Amino acid sequence: MSIQVKNVSKSFGSFQALKDISVDIESGELIALLGPSGSGKTTLLRILAGLEGLDEGAIYFDGENITNVSPKERKVGFVFQHYALFRHMTVFENVAYGLKVRPRKTRPSKQEIAKKVNELLELVKLQNFQDRYPSQLSGGQRQRVALARALAVEPKVLLLDEPFGALDAKVRKELRRWLRQLHNEFHVTSIFVTHDQEEALDVADRIIVMNNGKIEQIGTPDEVYENPKSPFVYDFLGNVNIFRGRLQNGKLRQGQFEISAPNYLDSHDEAVGYVRPHDIQIEKEKVDNETVAAKITFIHIVGPTVQIELKREDNGEFLEAELTKEHYKNLEIQKGDIVYVRPKQLKVFIPEDFSI
Amino acid sequence: MELSLKRRKKTTIIPGFSLTFGYTMLYLSMIVLLPLSMIIVNTLSMSWSEFYETITHPRAVASYKLSFGTAFVAGLINVFFGTMIAWVLIRYEFPGRKIIDGLVDLPFALPTAVAGIALTTLYAPNGWIGQFFDFKISYTPLGIIIALTFIGLPFVVRTVQPVLQNLSKEVEEASASLGATRFQTFVKIILPELYPAMITGFSLAFSRALGEYGSVVFIAGNMPMKTEITPLIIMTKLEQYDYVGATAIAIVMLSGSFIILLFINFIQWRMNRKFYH
Repeated sequence: MSIQVKNVSKSFGSFQALKDISVDIESGELIALLGPSGSGKTTLLRILAGLEGLDEGAIYFDGENITNVSPKERKVGFVFQHYALFRHMTVFENVAYGLKVRPRKTRPSKQEIAKKVNELLELVKLQNFQDRYPSQLSGGQRQRVALARALAVEPKVLLLDEPFGALDAKVRKELRRWLRQLHNEFHVTSIFVTHDQEEALDVADRIIVMNNGKIEQIGTPDEVYENPKSPFVYDFLGNVNIFRGRLQNGKLRQGQFEISAPNYLDSHDEAVGYVRPHDIQIEKEKVDNETVAAKITFIHIVGPTVQIELKREDNGEFLEAELTKEHYKNLEIQKGDIVYVRPKQLKVFIPEDFSI
Repeated sequence: MELSLKRRKKTTIIPGFSLTFGYTMLYLSMIVLLPLSMIIVNTLSMSWSEFYETITHPRAVASYKLSFGTAFVAGLINVFFGTMIAWVLIRYEFPGRKIIDGLVDLPFALPTAVAGIALTTLYAPNGWIGQFFDFKISYTPLGIIIALTFIGLPFVVRTVQPVLQNLSKEVEEASASLGATRFQTFVKIILPELYPAMITGFSLAFSRALGEYGSVVFIAGNMPMKTEITPLIIMTKLEQYDYVGATAIAIVMLSGSFIILLFINFIQWRMNRKFYH
């Protein structure tokens, strides 16, 4: 089912959670709503589910205005961050609930319900747990029950509110891969809320980046990561180093130090350059003006990568670089060394448009 | 006792077990067990046949039925309306909510005799409420039930209230998004969460009602075989210096309450098993 959000605004008292939001979501897409806490992503999800009303605007499912339709009639599956399982019911009863509460006319027979529930439990690999109570399950298992329960009613849209937020890193990774697979099989339009950029980049077909109740950017993970439209998106999708300076002849200048910015040949503005840590190269000799001297203040070896914290010699600003372990070993650097830092990929934003 | 404790002693990071446990036992013995055992000690001076005759006297048997029956009915009424009051107080915002919340505790604070006299006048055949009914309320078991309901009200409200307060809203939202009507959500999701608290409230209200004397004697009319409650029989025997007879009846009441409370605890234990493994 396709979803259209048209000019939706929502306030809680004096706090405006959503400001004139419009999005089109195509049928069968897997969308990530990404943003920091308080950005309005959960509010938008709850509005789509009908759990929250809206102040202005409208929501269309397959072209039909459902703004005032109750959650019960929206055919939406909702998965909560803290699972919201019914703790007095077994796993089986939890999954069967959505079918059992149907009006007599449309309610499947007991055997049909049992068959359906068993299928779903098999899908979430919990067929041996059907008689357990939620309190006897681990976090990952509970979230899988919650998913099975939401899928039991054959929703046209699946909405997930930080579904893996409360799980540990390994289970989280496993579950999101599994969600991706599930989506490939069922093609039900799915939207999940997350504040974890890695999760969004890993799983989603498209990412909607939100900040302060507004949409910052919509695009595929690659688009959003490689071509962020605003400093906020750039910043939110990974660590950044910031270089402030003035654009001149296609270069971002900062005193002696200059970084080439070939897309801005005609511009002579104050600008801010963003560089990802893995786009920073460390050299031991000064070759040209495109490097800046910095002192290594910390070296963290995190598994296969090495994170290096540096302090610039000229203005004392801190930089962060990320190297492969192999590269790090070849460089033979250690804490306290003065090295030369070369930004390889620069993304320039001119602060007129964006305040930082 | 102390020896066996020492032998089983295990290291735990929570301090003060022996101190608190010792104090608990001493306290319970002095406040509860010792007085209760005096009842049995006192009764032992009776011969078996005397004891049997006292406790199976038709007047006593009628009073057991009345006491247990009315306390049970009052407990049920309180479970129903107490839960409803707790629901209204927690779920809705309305002016005067705090005041009503405070009113709930009043039956605790009021001297029971005052409550009894007030209720008797209200429900007497010519009283403000009694005049609208063409059957008698005061001086019948119905009146007793009303008095017992009155004094037991706070128990259910106060046990259900915190549970209702802590009920997660998400669970209800989940139910709604799965297609349940509000009524289905209430019956299948909310009520089962409340059952344990409702049963606790019931057993508290029931036991309180069983031992109630002050408010009931006024409204009951105290007609032997009809509206005479067991605590009154015990009182009457005491006034006649028949201490042994009084304790004999007390033993019956005590065992009755004990068995019923044990049964309620059993039900509760079975229910709680689902929630806390």
